[in-house]
Amino acid sequence: MPRKLRVSVDLAICVGNAMCETYAPKVFVLNDDRQSTVADSNADTFENIMEAAQDCPVSAITVIDDETGEKLFP
Amino acid sequence: MVTAISDEMFSGEAIADPYSYYGRIREEDPVHWNEKYELWVITRHDDLVWMTRHHELFSSEFWSRDKRSPYPAIDESDLGLYQFMKEFFMNWFIQQDRPVHTDQRKVVHKWFNPASMETWRPMVQKVVKDMLDEADQNGRMDVMKDFATPLPLFVIAQMMGMPFEDRKFIRSMAEKLLFIGRGEADRMQPLTDGIKELMEYLSPLVAQKMDLPVDENDLLSVLASGEKSGALTRDEVIADAILLLLAGHETTINLICNGTLAFTQHPDQWKLLKDAPFQDPDTIVRATEECLRYDPPVKSIQRIASEDVEMGGKLLKEGDRIRWFMSSANRDPAKHENPDTFDISRWPNTHVAFGSGIHHCLGATLARMEAQEAFKALAERYDSISVETDEFEYQPSVTFRSLKSLPVSLK
Repeated sequence: MPRKLRVSVDLAICVGNAMCETYAPKVFVLNDDRQSTVADSNADTFENIMEAAQDCPVSAITVIDDETGEKLFP
Repeated sequence: MVTAISDEMFSGEAIADPYSYYGRIREEDPVHWNEKYELWVITRHDDLVWMTRHHELFSSEFWSRDKRSPYPAIDESDLGLYQFMKEFFMNWFIQQDRPVHTDQRKVVHKWFNPASMETWRPMVQKVVKDMLDEADQNGRMDVMKDFATPLPLFVIAQMMGMPFEDRKFIRSMAEKLLFIGRGEADRMQPLTDGIKELMEYLSPLVAQKMDLPVDENDLLSVLASGEKSGALTRDEVIADAILLLLAGHETTINLICNGTLAFTQHPDQWKLLKDAPFQDPDTIVRATEECLRYDPPVKSIQRIASEDVEMGGKLLKEGDRIRWFMSSANRDPAKHENPDTFDISRWPNTHVAFGSGIHHCLGATLARMEAQEAFKALAERYDSISVETDEFEYQPSVTFRSLKSLPVSLK
């Protein structure tokens, strides 16, 4: 079973670079302000979601293991 | 009317004030065919973002796909040099489409992520301090020559393991490469001279790295690992090393210089920055984003249509050249309230100074960090920064928004 994730984007930090959307387009969707929002935390592979979080140019993404509560990123 | 818009993008007016020139195009003919240079000029924020998100329609393989003659025109005797230049630029990873682009970008993308970049912040703070200590002794400086240029150049040269004494050479070669965005008919000679000299300089350095195990603290070594993994050829490693050297400092130079100018022209915003508690990073972060929006270091980026696409009632045909203007999109009133106002508390500030999507600027975090430290140090140190001239002369480039100098007195 793939691990269940809880992904969030801090809108006080996000400047809409849209890198996350290119890595995991089913997880991250841009809103009307062109800031990223999470549509479905588990709609892509673990690797793609972690890559999106690590590569976010302003570190706006947090990834948590939804079952254990462990913070996986940052 | 379309006919009323001048297509001379290199005119004194368009270079001095691109916001009025492209602003007018945005209002009157936002997807504009520039007859003189045979390319589409894209000026609206929403169009630009849409295009960045449809990279399959708008190819980055500009130099390998462009079949039209050079724009602006070059001396006919330089067509051989033009071909050499094209073949060099084709090797840049940013000139590739997916999937090649993804594989090549991956070689270095971890180096530039925020966690990696933070490890360089103390070094940047130290260099900023040393440079401003020196400026203090004179009570004045040329922001361009004495601060905005040497800072990012020092940082990228350090990252790439270049010897300290080579920085002057690197800068003089970079200045030759900047002819890429200019209009002089004889620009091919300095441009290709700069490329050749940097290739000669970097070839032995890259060869050395190839013989050693990968050093994760050395950007050139990390880049060279791309050849070992098969993602890059030797020519591509050398071309990308030149790209990182150039893009790693030229853009940040303009961000620091243009941002400083904006603060000198808006004393209320300077006061806001100065009055902010410096332990609160939000103010510096947001101020830097506003500098990026208000007067971005890069004005435009080019693409080429991969297939026929309709946009804004116009038909962009396969093979058509395209230039989208971040400096116009960042002032688009449909996206930004009071777009011509410099407001460092603006939020969210979804400018496109670094582009967007898969080709989003690789070095954005580095540029931000250097600019944040530069603006913070200026605000902590000086009550006022006064420009010593009324005349601002910009490099005649359609790509870069670059002041020739910015002399200021410091108090």
